[in-house]
Amino acid sequence: MEIRQIAPFLYEIPRGARPGMRVPARFYADEALAAAARADRSLEQLINTATLPGVVGHVLAMPDMHQGYGFPIGGVVATEPPEGVVSPGGVGYDINCGVRLLTGRVTAREILPHLDALASALYADCPSGVGRGGEVRLSAAELDQAMVEGARWAVRRGFGMAEDLEHTEEGGCLEGADPGAVSDRARARGRDQMGTLGAGNHFIEIDRVERIEDEAVARRFGLFADQVVVQIHCGSRGLGHQVCTDSVNRLQKAARDWGYRLPDRELVCAPLESPEGRAYLAAMKAAANYAFANRQVLAHRIRGSFERVLAPEGLPRELFPLYDIAHNIAKMERHEIEGRARTLCVHRKGATRAFGPGSPEIPRAFREVGQPVLVPGSMGTSSWVLVGTAEAMRQTFGSSCHGAGRRLSRHQAKRAVQGAGLRRELEEGGIHVRAGSLAGLAEEAPSAYKDVDRVVDIVHGAGIARRVARLVPLAVIKG
Amino acid sequence: MPPDASPGPPAFEEVDHTADRAIVARGASLEELFENAARGMNAILGFRPDPGAAPEARRIALEAVDAEGLLVSWLSELAFLAETESLGFERFGFERFSPTALAATAFGRKAAAMEKLIKAVTYHDLAIRREGGIYTARIVFDV
Repeated sequence: MEIRQIAPFLYEIPRGARPGMRVPARFYADEALAAAARADRSLEQLINTATLPGVVGHVLAMPDMHQGYGFPIGGVVATEPPEGVVSPGGVGYDINCGVRLLTGRVTAREILPHLDALASALYADCPSGVGRGGEVRLSAAELDQAMVEGARWAVRRGFGMAEDLEHTEEGGCLEGADPGAVSDRARARGRDQMGTLGAGNHFIEIDRVERIEDEAVARRFGLFADQVVVQIHCGSRGLGHQVCTDSVNRLQKAARDWGYRLPDRELVCAPLESPEGRAYLAAMKAAANYAFANRQVLAHRIRGSFERVLAPEGLPRELFPLYDIAHNIAKMERHEIEGRARTLCVHRKGATRAFGPGSPEIPRAFREVGQPVLVPGSMGTSSWVLVGTAEAMRQTFGSSCHGAGRRLSRHQAKRAVQGAGLRRELEEGGIHVRAGSLAGLAEEAPSAYKDVDRVVDIVHGAGIARRVARLVPLAVIKG
Repeated sequence: MPPDASPGPPAFEEVDHTADRAIVARGASLEELFENAARGMNAILGFRPDPGAAPEARRIALEAVDAEGLLVSWLSELAFLAETESLGFERFGFERFSPTALAATAFGRKAAAMEKLIKAVTYHDLAIRREGGIYTARIVFDV
């Protein structure tokens, strides 16, 4: 396969590399990660996305890319109506999986004696793991409201404050959601999961700001050294999974009827403006809004835990919203291609929006510097707060990486790592762990992931996001 | 080719997939392939039946564009029942079966424990093949 390096950290596979490609494929990597990408099927999957009808510019993969199904994880693909398509596989099953970061006033030094109690309180207050429903049981009407209004519904119900909405991508609510496009099955899965973390790679983490790399932007983001911050990583739970399952099934026949010749059935798609395409977008938005509401409710629970543990100690327990971003989503956005602003459907599957300074879509408070980009690392290692750049708007439809990216399969990780040993290792490193399943813990072992610092070096080096602060974990809560 | 048959290839086995979990399932007929795939999914779920729970049965009727689509729908249905009712199924009676439609009764119990939820059963690289009289399918689960 012809791969050429076209800039530091940027490689391109030309359009002619395989018949059917409509645009070139580009990926961000250093030499070692480029070699890793060649070793699994992520590049083949990226090339597959370059064959989608109506794809424009170039398809992209971020440096945390790895093999998925249909689209690679780390993929960014933009399509343009009318012939452009939307593909449920380009969003993934966990619709609007994303990250929210809350910033405290309390410092790590102050909180250390209370960390164990805090970790236990978070584990008790934020339902996680298999089969644990939430305390927020929704009536059918309330579920509809949550799907239409997203985080706004949650705030209206008393879970959080108005400021949270300003600091959430899209204000926590995608316009155009239609609960009528969501199946009874999806509703059944979502009804008692509001305000729950789930299992898999989802987590709540208390972190310490280990170092600041950009003082001016950090100040704007309200970040300072030794500060305690909290990350929430989760999505739309069973409701979103079912919306994707329903759509992928429904489009199997529709894609045949349109005569699409797709190299992978997970790439099924429909024209953005077709009834099927519109139905998927309306259901996906409903699931995305459910996810925004879910992270909002969890944030409220976390604030409750901080209040209960820290207030009696006379310590600052406030947690402010920094930002909440999606990393599995498709959205209509305006981007400039060949000197002309065009409306595109940008699929981000395991990629984060990283809009630069001046973008009207980002909170007023960050408009001069760019939006916060949240990059959780693997458990027990570091995470990053980055800032979006003008360069991202030029190169990547305003996108950047979303995490460390898997290196080993879950199966391999389980064979190589014992959950109990890993827990001991993390705790010996000073990290408090609360986990529902030791096997699940082993699957998420740090050794199963790439080095997030290296991934961040690449996006920083390529200019598609800039380093602001490095976070290290103090406590991890997992299902 | 029941699950404990030997010698020969196993009725199902877990194989590697970077992001998720995958199994290879086998069967002497399509029906048997579907049964063994369901048992393989139970292994991914970490399903352990509650010995004290009363037996449960669920009727399942499905249609799809082809056999692969039917297999995805079949496993999706069972994964849905696992998530919403904590049910696992170990025996299946097919009343009607073709490559594009089935009607069956699944017999099982409530779980004493499940280690995992399955977000979705995917079409990724899914193809049912028949070699030497054995049907084989590799199924990737998003977990």
